[in-house]
Amino acid sequence: MIRIRAPQEIAAGLFLIALASFVFWQTDDLTVGTMRALGPGMMPRALATACGLCGGALVILSFLKDGASLEHWSIRGPLFILGAAIVFGLAIRPLGLFVAGPAAVIIGSLAARDSRFVESILFAAVMTTFCWLLFKVLLSLPIPVAPWLLGY
Amino acid sequence: MDSFIGNLELGFSTALSLQNIALCFAGCLIGTLVGILPGVGPIATIAILLPLTFQVDPIGALIMLAGIYYGAQYGGSTTAILVNIPGEATSVVTTLDGHQMARNGRAGIALGIAAIGSFFAGTVATLVIAALGVPLTRLALVFGPAEYFSLMVLGLAFAVVLARGSILRAGAVIFIGLLLATVGTDLQTGDERLTLGMVDLMDGIDFAVLAMGLFGFAEILRNLDNPETRDVVQAKIGKLLPSKADFKQAALPVVRGTLLGGALGILPGNGAVLGPFASYTLEKKISRTPRRFGNGAIEGVAGLESANNAGAQTAFIPLLTLGIPPNAVMALMVGAMTIHGIIPGPQVMTKTPGLFWGMIASMWLGNLMLLIINLPLIGLWVRLLKVPYRLMFPAILLFCCIGIYSINNDPSDVLLTAFFGFAGYAFYRFGFEPAPLLLGFVLGKLMEEKLRQALILSRGDFGTFVTSPVSAGLLLLAVLVIVVAIIPTVRKGREEAFQE
Repeated sequence: MIRIRAPQEIAAGLFLIALASFVFWQTDDLTVGTMRALGPGMMPRALATACGLCGGALVILSFLKDGASLEHWSIRGPLFILGAAIVFGLAIRPLGLFVAGPAAVIIGSLAARDSRFVESILFAAVMTTFCWLLFKVLLSLPIPVAPWLLGY
Repeated sequence: MDSFIGNLELGFSTALSLQNIALCFAGCLIGTLVGILPGVGPIATIAILLPLTFQVDPIGALIMLAGIYYGAQYGGSTTAILVNIPGEATSVVTTLDGHQMARNGRAGIALGIAAIGSFFAGTVATLVIAALGVPLTRLALVFGPAEYFSLMVLGLAFAVVLARGSILRAGAVIFIGLLLATVGTDLQTGDERLTLGMVDLMDGIDFAVLAMGLFGFAEILRNLDNPETRDVVQAKIGKLLPSKADFKQAALPVVRGTLLGGALGILPGNGAVLGPFASYTLEKKISRTPRRFGNGAIEGVAGLESANNAGAQTAFIPLLTLGIPPNAVMALMVGAMTIHGIIPGPQVMTKTPGLFWGMIASMWLGNLMLLIINLPLIGLWVRLLKVPYRLMFPAILLFCCIGIYSINNDPSDVLLTAFFGFAGYAFYRFGFEPAPLLLGFVLGKLMEEKLRQALILSRGDFGTFVTSPVSAGLLLLAVLVIVVAIIPTVRKGREEAFQE
């Protein structure tokens, strides 16, 4: 009977095949060119083919050999960590480091199961001050600090 | 010989300026500081600290980066010895005897001999780089596009074989890296490739964005999923200076490790990884008392730490002379250099000799500083190891965010990095190792360029890659490396199938 013996392998393989198909779809309008003058589409498609072949091999292997199971994906980590980065990216220009910094630290802290709220607020203040001193005062990088309050 | 000494003199006169000494010191100190944090390897350390160098002139920035690199390496060894957590692949073996020494109450001596061995290895490696720099750069000048292309193929073949995990996966990861390098405007035709219509992707994916996503954010996500069990040595560190008997035991392993690691480090495609393993195996084999290995043998720590440092340093040779990074950390150095407007390669030495030799001299200086700052500061490092991760990762997160934003002063870079952070997490869940991706990404643009150039020169004849003896030799070696690595797995797979 055919059964999947390595769930992680098949997931990885399918991911590679999906990636390859996506590249082929996106480079549809690019010319491959000739041997003498390779076109812009040549490399991406050749590489996508290689990726797809690796993916195909992984899928086949997943039926032949026992392998690792696909562990469950945690939601908490990616949600809060990447969420914090996105909030930082959206807030840094209009609101500046004094808002974006603490927001990133506090939101990010929520990703850990053992985070303590008061501690993260204090830590956010300390880290923001430290980064302000380091990057703005010492290294004078052009980061907005608090445009709504200080004008820069 | 005259030019050798003259070059070193030029180098030291550059490296010994007050500003550059200060930068080297700062780099080593901060590199160790961050590298010592458990779960932060050298790649992540350099990626996080990259923005600190933005306001410095190129030579100072490179000296500081080299310092950060050595500091991160040394920090990795310290965590391996004291906490039993290898910060990176090369310190895995350090945990075997290093941590045992620490448990036997000889943590100080393990750290001391690691620092002294590394210093010796660093000194030798610096001389090797200085000696090999000129001839290898000449070699680079006779390399045509076809030879360059084949050399990079060989480098990637090594990277596939030496990566952790299956060859198929490592290969796929490198292909993804190469694929990501093609994103952006095609330089020859001006066509947009894989930009999905996004303006931010027109110039291609920013190297720092990719590196911080895959190694800054994704590492945090990885570490949060696997709360590590820290085994911090509670006993006293003890005295640091090894006794005479210790020195006697460690001297020869240090020399052997240096030679072994240095030679392997020059190999394209992360040969440096092999150094510590090779040294450990060698010492165990020729030891009269192999039983002591694994129970805190000083030879084990001394030899492989020297091999580690020698390899870490000679890995600069392909980068500085040929412009080809041999591993992910060096790929990161390429990215850092490019940000400062320096394209690594043979022209660096001829056009800006002060920068080239200054950097080489600063390598030795960096090693000396590590010796000076690490030994007295070990008490402080131990305290740092006790910082809980729930405080550490938000700080890393904030550093990454500020760093990415400052590269181009572009908030959308932060969002793109978040995307790559998620991609890195997905990679981890799919069982892919992300380090080869970075190497593929950095080599990708150069490879495509050289491939196209070679084909134009040969008027579309693929034979150009095999008619040139150098190129043919390199490609043959690449095929050989892959075949040798595949055969045992295929056989094993067959055996398993037969057993059923």
